[in-house]
Amino acid sequence: MNNNHIIGVFDDEDTLMEAVHEVKKNGFEIGEIYTPYPVHEVIEAMGKKSRFTLAAFIYGFLGAAGVLAFMYYTAVIDWPVNYGGKPTNAFPSFIVVTIVITILTVTLASLFTFSVRAQIYPGKAYILPDARSTDDKFVMIFDKALSGNKTGELEGILKEKGAVEVYEKELKPQK
Amino acid sequence: MDTKITLSKGFQYTAIAMITAGAAVIIYSFIAEPARAWANLLLNNYMFLSLAIGASFFIAIQHISQSGWSSMFKRVPEAMMAYIPYAGIIMLLLYFGMHSVYHWTHEEALAGDTLIQHKSPYLNIPFFFIRMVLFFIAWMVMTRLIRNASLAEDAQGGMLWFEKSEIYSKIHIFLLAVTFSFASFDWIMSLDVHWFSTIFSLKNFVAAFFHGSATVVLVVILLHEKGHFKALNKSHMLDFSRYIFMLCIVWGYFAFSQFMLIWYGNIPEETEYFAHRWHSGFKVIFYVNFFINWFLPFVFLLPQVLNKNIRVVKTIAILLIAGQYLDLYEQIFPAVLHHPVFGITEIGFFIGFAGLFMFITAKALASAPLIPRNHPYLEESLQHHVH
Repeated sequence: MNNNHIIGVFDDEDTLMEAVHEVKKNGFEIGEIYTPYPVHEVIEAMGKKSRFTLAAFIYGFLGAAGVLAFMYYTAVIDWPVNYGGKPTNAFPSFIVVTIVITILTVTLASLFTFSVRAQIYPGKAYILPDARSTDDKFVMIFDKALSGNKTGELEGILKEKGAVEVYEKELKPQK
Repeated sequence: MDTKITLSKGFQYTAIAMITAGAAVIIYSFIAEPARAWANLLLNNYMFLSLAIGASFFIAIQHISQSGWSSMFKRVPEAMMAYIPYAGIIMLLLYFGMHSVYHWTHEEALAGDTLIQHKSPYLNIPFFFIRMVLFFIAWMVMTRLIRNASLAEDAQGGMLWFEKSEIYSKIHIFLLAVTFSFASFDWIMSLDVHWFSTIFSLKNFVAAFFHGSATVVLVVILLHEKGHFKALNKSHMLDFSRYIFMLCIVWGYFAFSQFMLIWYGNIPEETEYFAHRWHSGFKVIFYVNFFINWFLPFVFLLPQVLNKNIRVVKTIAILLIAGQYLDLYEQIFPAVLHHPVFGITEIGFFIGFAGLFMFITAKALASAPLIPRNHPYLEESLQHHVH
């Protein structure tokens, strides 16, 4: 399979975004965009939506409910002990533990969710079209097969919109 | 661009009518029930003072962090700070009602109580008022400096006044941390003279910042609905509600910490405070307080569909002003009156003080252009965009 891609390298966020809008207007499909830091406009422009916050909320809710239920079970049902005359269901003192474990649950569960959804795991082979996107460059890639015979037009648009470099490359997973 | 606002006749008459109606109730209640009247005076004056102090802290934070997004709205907290001198005058009136409100001012209480005797080098009437005057002088000087720097920036432009505002704000925050802590110890905590809590001042300071910020947001929204602040967009609303959301968590943290440690420690001299506040009708207030000040903002400002919605944020801000009243009611009334009361006196006092606060804030708002002219970050504020 031909895995050739067209790669546009940009100097900053603004020129990148102009190019993204121009390319989309002309009907090209963007393969992927690599940026040195998260750029929310990119996610929006590529039409991607994240339900990550909802997932985090559900983890937090389940975590809090689970911890409270566990403490209620241990302190009230299974092994009631009288601490200084306080009721066995010492609810205010459960809250601190609940907050801490809820945070831990959300953090770990979010991490695993992200890893699964993004298919990232230790030792995975990765694709890095242009190593400079880990430094200070913004990199946009297009599948050459999808742009068909309009490759020249695409390269023209990228150059016109301020790409510092446009080239073609066959992408291979790296270890 | 001239953005000066003019106060409508209707607004001025409403405010004056509120002050007049309030004044009538206030005068009547001082004749009929002096103790209740003094408690109400302390509650309402402290409440609106705390909103003004919270607003001054809000703007000081904006200066120190060199925030761009909020620079368009800086006149609103500045205008709210104008209440501080009036609060000072009303607070000084407390001199005539000390015996009705503060148990430790009674000679016979002092004579037979070693704990009050032990505290008397600090808690005595002359020193109480010396401190009060010093606090108000500090706040008046600092807020005036911040306000004047802002007005001078309008007239002259340049970076000089922007930098000066930042320096004044640093001094103001430092002074506020000390003075407002002692002020809340003096005016509120000494109502229960045998009880003490070291987190008390922090909780009250955060409450002032929390509810002051909510009031800033409410005033901005009201002005927006009147056709001002046309550049107010979803991003501003998101940042405003983030402020309220963050502060509701901090408030809940401190309020709950104070309660939980006392409840868990279960030492008689500490638990008497909450034991007293769990008697008869007061217990409802304890729960409603957490519900309004923590639960409602937390739940309703969490999803982005709600916290960018002007009407949701407006409702929450109005509820939070009621929440600050309730929080102070819980702190002041059980100590002074021993049983829950709420009637025409409480409503009259609140309306009177709310009218005064509205009138002073609006006058201060109208005295300068609503949108600052030469703030270096003004353009960023007008174009503010976040995700």
